[in-house]
Amino acid sequence: MLTLKDGVAYCLTELGGSPESRIKAVMGKLVCSGDASLQNGLDLVHSLLNQIPSYGHHEVFILYSALSKSSKIRCSVIGLSAELSIYANIFAKKLPHLKELVLEHAPPPPAIAEFAIANLIKMEFPQRAAEGVISFCSYHKEAKFGGGYTCRRCKASICELSTECCICGLTLVSSPHFARSYHHLFPITPFGDVAPLVSSDPHKVPKSCFGCQQSLLAPDALSALFLFPTLSRLMLMQETCQEAAHWVLSDNYPFAIADTEVSFFVVQIQIN
Amino acid sequence: MTPAASKLYTDDVSLLMVLIDTNPFFWNSIKSTLSFSKFISNVLAFLNSILLLNQLNQVVLIATGYNSCDYIFDSSASQNQNQRAESLLQKLEEFVEKDESLCREDSVDAPGFSLLSGSLSMALCYIQKVFRSGPLHPRPRILCLHGSPDGPGQYVAIMNAIFSAQRSMVPVDSCILGAQHSAFLQQASYITGGVYLKPQLLDGLFQYLSTVFATDLHSRSFLQLPKPVGVDFRASCFCHKNTIDMGYICSVCLSIFCKHQKKCSTCGSVFGQSQAQDSSTPDRKRKTSVDK
Repeated sequence: MLTLKDGVAYCLTELGGSPESRIKAVMGKLVCSGDASLQNGLDLVHSLLNQIPSYGHHEVFILYSALSKSSKIRCSVIGLSAELSIYANIFAKKLPHLKELVLEHAPPPPAIAEFAIANLIKMEFPQRAAEGVISFCSYHKEAKFGGGYTCRRCKASICELSTECCICGLTLVSSPHFARSYHHLFPITPFGDVAPLVSSDPHKVPKSCFGCQQSLLAPDALSALFLFPTLSRLMLMQETCQEAAHWVLSDNYPFAIADTEVSFFVVQIQIN
Repeated sequence: MTPAASKLYTDDVSLLMVLIDTNPFFWNSIKSTLSFSKFISNVLAFLNSILLLNQLNQVVLIATGYNSCDYIFDSSASQNQNQRAESLLQKLEEFVEKDESLCREDSVDAPGFSLLSGSLSMALCYIQKVFRSGPLHPRPRILCLHGSPDGPGQYVAIMNAIFSAQRSMVPVDSCILGAQHSAFLQQASYITGGVYLKPQLLDGLFQYLSTVFATDLHSRSFLQLPKPVGVDFRASCFCHKNTIDMGYICSVCLSIFCKHQKKCSTCGSVFGQSQAQDSSTPDRKRKTSVDK
C-alpha cells in the first residue's frame, strides 16, 4: 500500500497476504498534505511489482481524492508493459456510494493470457500449532508464544502464513486464503423469478421459506418469490442495499454462500 | 419497541442455532459409546437450560442428514409450551425417515458424510433474517454437534459458509462426537472465533455442553474456555477430492491439485514451464532470475 503526498510516493505497507496489518496501518495516523503525484506513485509501483515472479498478475488500484471543486475524477485504462489497469471513479461527497464503488473492484479483473504464463506452483498447507506452544520463528529470528506453523519439509517454524520458508524455499500458505476467492471461480446460478402464487391454490405453495423459515403466506408481506433452480425449492430472499443478502444452500447442492465482500443481492420485498 | 423491552435485551441474550448430525452410518459406528437416544436426551436438557438462562434466549435446532437438512425445532415459533419436547421428537423422527427415503444420485459425497454445508447455510439464512427483524435482536451463534467425517466434496461450500459467518460476526462452535478430529470444523471455529472441543468422555456430554457451549458471547470475554489444540489447515484437491497437505496451485485460478498436471481442469490454462517447482534455491536467487 502506497501513499501519495507532497509530490512523493511513500510505501505504507509491503506486499503481503494478511489483511490485519494493512488495516492497522491504514487506521493509524494518516495525514494528507500537498499534491499527489501519479507518476511517482506509478514508478514506485512498477519497481515493487517487478520483483514478483512471472506467474503473478499485477493490478494497481488507485484511490484518488480531488482537491479542486469538481468532485469527479475518472482515469481511463492504461496498459503498460506489465498489465496495469488504472480506473478510479470517486464521488467525494457520497461515502456510502464510495463503498459500493470501491467494492466493485473487489472481483478480480479478467487476466490477459499473453502477459502471464500459467504455472503450477508447489505449495504446502502447514498445520497451526496449539496455543501456548513456544517456538522460534525463523523469519523474525525471535521466540514467539503460541500458534506457529511448521514447514513439513525442513521443520522450520514460522509465525504467520503466506510466506516462503526461509530454509528450503517452499511456499507455505493457509488454505482459507485461497478459499476466499473460490466464489469467483464457482459462482452461484441465478435464482428464478416465480410469479406470486399466494392467491392461487394454497396447497401447492409451501408455507415457509426453505432457507429461513419465514412465513410465505402473509398476504401483504411479499411481492416476489424466488425459485432455486435445480431443486425447485421456494424461497424468500431479501434485498439489502448496504450489505450483501444471504444465500441459501439447498440440502445437497454444493454451492456456496457468497462472502459478503462481493455484493450479490436478491429479491425485493414490499412490506405494507 | 417499548422501553421495557429494550431493557430486557441485556448483553447476554443469545440466539443459538444447534446443528445435530443425524447420519445413521455415523451413529451406528459409535453406538457402543453413545447411543442416539442418549445423545438426544443430553441435547434436550441442554436446550432447556439455554432457554432457562434468559427469557429472551432463542434456540433453533437443525438436523444434518446425509441426503438433506431440515429445521426441527424453533423456540420462537408459537406452539404449546408443554408439547415442545414431543413435537421436537416427532419432527426429528419424521426427518430421519424422510432423509433415509431420499436417494440422491448426484450427491457430492458418499452417504457416510453428512451435509454440513447445507445446515450451516440454513443456519446463516435464519440468522440473516433475525438481523433484519429490527434494531433489537439477540446475538447469534452456531453450535455444530458433528461426528461424521469431513466430506471433501463440500469443501468450497463449507469454506464460503465460514467466511459468511466470519463477516456477519457469528461464531461457529464445534463439539466433535466422532473418533477423529474434523479439519473443516477446526478451521470454522478458528476463523470465526468459536470454540472447538472434542469431549473425551461422551457419557458426560451434557456437562461439556453446559459448561462450555452454553456460555453467551458477552461472557466469553471473561471466561477461560478450552483453547484449540492446533488447527488443521489441509485443503481438498480439486481432482480427486482427497485431503492433502502439500499440493500444486494453478497460478491463474488458484485451484489445488495433488499431482502435477498439464492442464488446469478449472480454468483450462495450459501450464507452460515446469521449472522451479521442486527447487530448493533460496528466495533471493529466484527473484533476480525473473526477468521483466
